[in-house]
Amino acid sequence: MPETRLLFRDIDVPGIDRIDVYEQHGGYETLRKAVLDMTPDAVLAEVMASNLRGRGGAGFPTGRKWSFLPKDGRTRYLVCNADESEPGTCKDQEIIYKDPHLLIEGVATSAYAIGAEDAFIYLRGEFKVGFEILERAIAEAHAKGYLGDNVLGSGRRIEITLYLGAGAYICGEETALLESLEGKRGNPRLKPPFPATAGLYGMPTVVNNVETLCAVVPILAMGGQEYAKLGTEKSAGTKLFSVSGTVRRPGNFEVELSKVTLRELVFDLAGGPLEGREIKGIIPGGSSVPILTPEKFDTPLDYESLAAAGTMLGSGGVIVLDDRSCIVKSTLRLMEFYRHESCGKCTPCREGTMWLGQVLERIEAGLGRPGDLALLADLSENIEGRTFCPLGDAAIGVLKSGLQLYHDEYQAHIDQGCCPLGEVVR
Amino acid sequence: MNAENLAKAQEILRRFPQKSSALIPLLHVVEEEFGYIPPEEVANVADLMGVTEAYVESVLSFYTLFHRQPTGKYLIQVCRGLSCQLLGADDLSKFLYEELGVQRNGTTADGMFTVEEVECVALCKNAPAVQINLAFYPDMTKEKLQAFLEKAREEVRSGAGDEAAL
Ligand SMILES: Cc1cc2nc3c(=O)[nH]c(=O)nc-3n(C[C@H](O)[C@H](O)[C@H](O)COP(=O)(O)O)c2cc1C
Ligand code: SF4
Ligand code: FES
Repeated sequence: MPETRLLFRDIDVPGIDRIDVYEQHGGYETLRKAVLDMTPDAVLAEVMASNLRGRGGAGFPTGRKWSFLPKDGRTRYLVCNADESEPGTCKDQEIIYKDPHLLIEGVATSAYAIGAEDAFIYLRGEFKVGFEILERAIAEAHAKGYLGDNVLGSGRRIEITLYLGAGAYICGEETALLESLEGKRGNPRLKPPFPATAGLYGMPTVVNNVETLCAVVPILAMGGQEYAKLGTEKSAGTKLFSVSGTVRRPGNFEVELSKVTLRELVFDLAGGPLEGREIKGIIPGGSSVPILTPEKFDTPLDYESLAAAGTMLGSGGVIVLDDRSCIVKSTLRLMEFYRHESCGKCTPCREGTMWLGQVLERIEAGLGRPGDLALLADLSENIEGRTFCPLGDAAIGVLKSGLQLYHDEYQAHIDQGCCPLGEVVR
Repeated sequence: MNAENLAKAQEILRRFPQKSSALIPLLHVVEEEFGYIPPEEVANVADLMGVTEAYVESVLSFYTLFHRQPTGKYLIQVCRGLSCQLLGADDLSKFLYEELGVQRNGTTADGMFTVEEVECVALCKNAPAVQINLAFYPDMTKEKLQAFLEKAREEVRSGAGDEAAL
C-alpha cells in the first residue's frame, strides 16, 4: 500500500531546507503563479474546488472558512497554527524542521488569497529549533523577494512573523492561541464571534493548521479540481498520519484519504506489531478520540468512515496499543495530561479531569473500589458537552470508549487489586 | 537583562502590530539569559511593557516553559506522553534521577543538569523522545543518555579548566 506524497514529495531531499534546493524542486512557483497570474479570489476558488478540510483536528472546509471573512475593509490576519500539541501527533513538526520553505510558501500564498498582509506562525514553545529554522528560511525568502513590501514585484505586501508559545496544550485551540499571541494567558474565548469576524486584535482572522496551509501549494500547482479527485467528496486529498506507540516502523505517512485502511497504515506502512505482540487497540486521531479495536481496523482512513466507526480522524495522530499495554495505565497517562493542560476556566473540565485522574490513579494502584467504573462513567457524562471549549470532550474520548471496549480489563484491576497484565515488560 | 538582550527587547517591542504581543517573547529572552525568570526581571519586563508586575506574573504562570527557579546548564526534558511511555519513557527518567541523584524537576548541586518530565513534545514517531535545551533527541536509550551526560561533563570540565586558567 503506497503513500501518495504531495506534501512530503521532497521531504527527504537533502538540503531542501535551503532556498536554492527548494527552488530547484519547483519551490515558490506556486506563490509566483498566485501573486503574478491570479487574483486572490481565483486562488480562493481553487481552494474551494479542492474540497480541502482543515488538518488541525476539526476538519472544517478551508475554502469556506476563508470565505467567511467580512468584506469591510478592516485589516485581516492569517495565523498558522503550529502548536502541534495533541499527543501522538508529529506531522507538522517534520514539515517545519525539514521543509520549512513549503510552509512559508503555503502561508504566503494563503495570505495573498485572503487579503492579509501580515501572517503569523504560532509555534509551540518546544519548537524553538524549528523557530530558528523558519527564521533563517524567512530571511532567505525575503532576500529573494518572496516576502516583503512588494512580493515578486506584484505590489502586494506579505510579511510573516514568527511567534513562540511557551508550553500549553490549550494554546492549540484557535481562540486560546489568539489570546496567547496577544500576550495573554491562553484561556479560550467565547464563540461567536468567530475569528473570521473578530480574531487577532479584534480583526478578521483566519486560523489554519500547518498541514492545511502547506496543502494549498500542491492544490494550486495541480488545480483544485484535480486535487478533489483524490479521496472522496467529503474527504478530499491526502493526509499525513503520525503512527506511534507499539509498532515496528513508527513514522509519518502521507496517504490518499479513503484509499488506505487503518490496518494497511499500521500493519503495512508502519510494520505492524512488535515481535510476539498483538495489537489490541488503536487511537486513530490523536489522544482525544475514541479507541478502535481489531474488528474495526479495516475502516478506511477518511472523515466519514472513521466517524461511522465511532471515532474521529482528528489530527491524524495514530497511537497503537498492544497486548502488553495496560489500558488503565494508558488512560491514566492521558488523563494526567488533560488534567495538567486544563486551562481551569470552567468547572466541569477543571474539576472533572482532576476527579477522573484520582479515580484512575487508585484503580491503577490496585486500590479500585467496586463502584469506581460507574463513577468514571458518571463523571465523564458530567463533562461531555458541558465544557466551555472542546478540551473537556477531548479528555474523555479514550476513557469512555475504553471503559466499554476493555471493561473486563478495568474490572480485573479492581477485582484482583493489581494489573492483570502483571509486570509490564517492554 | 544584559545589554545585548536589552537591544533585542527593543526590537521585540516594535515587532508586532500591537505591543501586548511582545510580552511572551520578552519572557523568552529572560528565560534564555538566566535559565529562569528572576523576580527582578519580572519588574523589568513589566516596565518595558508598561503593565503591572502582577499582570506579568499572571501571564507567565500560565506557561510551563517559564521557570520560577534556576535551571541547570542542561535542561533535560523527558517526554512522558503516551507514545513515549509505551516505549519506556519511565525507565529513562528513572535512570536520570538515579544517575544524577535528583528528583523530578530537580537540579544537580553543581548546577549542571535539571531533569523534568514533560508532556508530548511532538516527536512521537521517535519515541521515547527527549529534549535537551529544547533540541530534539530522538529514539533515546539509557546508553545514549549516559553518553550525553559524559560528554556534557567532559565539555564543562575542559571549559571550567580554561576559566580557571584565566
Ligand atoms: C484543545 C484543542 C487543542 C488543539 N490543538 C491544535 C493544534 O495543536 N494544532 C492545530 O492545528 N489545531 C489544534 N486545534 C484545532 C484548532 O482549534 C483549529 O480548529 C485549527 O487550528 C483550525 O485549522 P484547520 O481548519 O486548518 O484545521 C485544537 C483544538 C482544541 C480544542
Ligand atoms: S474546557 Fe477546559 S480547557 Fe476548555 S475552557 Fe474549560 S477549563 Fe479551559
Ligand atoms: S508522546 Fe513523546 S513525543 Fe509524543
